[in-house]
Amino acid sequence: MFGLGILKGMWVTLTHFVGSFVDDIRWLGRRYYTPEGIAHRTSKDARGVFTVQYPEESLPIPEEFRFIPFLIYDVEEDGSHQDRCTSCGICAKVCPPQCIWIVRTDDPETGRPVPEPAEFFIDIDICMNCGYCAEYCPFDAIKMDHDFELSSFDRHAEHIYNKDKLSKPASYYAGIRPTNYAREEAIKAEKEAKKANR
Amino acid sequence: MSEMNPPENMNSNGYEVPPEMRNNIAITTLDKIWNMGRRYSVWPMMFGLACCAIEMICTAASRYDLARFGMEVMRPSPRQADLMIVSGTVTKKMIPQIVRLYNQMPEPKYVLAMGACASGGGPFKEGYNVVSGVDKYVPVDVYVPGCPPTPQALLHGLMKLQEKIDSESIRTVRWYQPGGEEPIPVPILGPDIIDPRDFPKFKSVKAAPAKAETAAESAEAA
Repeated sequence: MFGLGILKGMWVTLTHFVGSFVDDIRWLGRRYYTPEGIAHRTSKDARGVFTVQYPEESLPIPEEFRFIPFLIYDVEEDGSHQDRCTSCGICAKVCPPQCIWIVRTDDPETGRPVPEPAEFFIDIDICMNCGYCAEYCPFDAIKMDHDFELSSFDRHAEHIYNKDKLSKPASYYAGIRPTNYAREEAIKAEKEAKKANR
Repeated sequence: MSEMNPPENMNSNGYEVPPEMRNNIAITTLDKIWNMGRRYSVWPMMFGLACCAIEMICTAASRYDLARFGMEVMRPSPRQADLMIVSGTVTKKMIPQIVRLYNQMPEPKYVLAMGACASGGGPFKEGYNVVSGVDKYVPVDVYVPGCPPTPQALLHGLMKLQEKIDSESIRTVRWYQPGGEEPIPVPILGPDIIDPRDFPKFKSVKAAPAKAETAAESAEAA
């Protein structure tokens, strides 16, 4: 029969419409603004359609979500910050839109390069969030961030991030990507154990 | 009035309102009431350029719902729009149309550059056919980074725009200056790109030497 498909489709829409009200009654006030409410709404058991009330609540960010990259520094025992970046420039080379530029450090006495960046810039208005820099970095020094609330009024003053703005501690990275962090730490420990045995 | 959720600083101009009259009267400045009306009625223009438009559509749909911010509907005409969301790669062929649409929008008008391409050219920033940043032609109010920005990131950009509207004053805003505003000149395609309007000219140039050749040949033959 002609038109049966349309009716079927409209039936689905109608069940969603009714389902959202049924769910509202069943969850009465706990459906929005609560973590379990959001967890329920994003699960397969959710019936109906719902709106993410963004500024008040936001969807849980999956671990592999990637936005603008950031640089990791390790906090030493005496409290000083040790950049993981050695300014090798691999990230700048693989970056497809070429949004990274690095100023290398030279030893003022000998004039030979020191393995740490003097400055590190990322133009976040060019960055295409591909994650190649994080993938290619041999020192796990640059990783993709989860923070997406970056819009501003001035591109040139605020959207060209320097090293200060990009640097974040390793504990932050462990917080946003726990499984990745655990895996990388395990690999690192294994390598060091091998080195010690040799 | 309290349920309508007015900005918290509505009454903050030094006048004391007696406690029994709170929620009944509001003493405010013209700027504040003007900006409040404006910030809750920013209607975006319905046009998309590239992949960012998909995220913009998602933001406008029921799951993220622009209407919660008073951006009630996407208007298909620049005459009814306050906000131009430049969502996607702006090619050199498209920029004359964008500038023309911007000129056609009535004041107040705002521009939001959504995504890497509109803000700075993105991966195509050195492309032969892409404008590296729409801010070279139209004044951009808010830049939203991301490739593409997620719907939540776009909403954050729109809230930034509302902040900007809040900070405006009727006395200083550029479209109420005496003399009004000059429209932005519509850019013309540069010499590095073929202007389709010149096709007849190209054809005539191409055709002319061929004709001369044939004439010379015929002269030789004669």
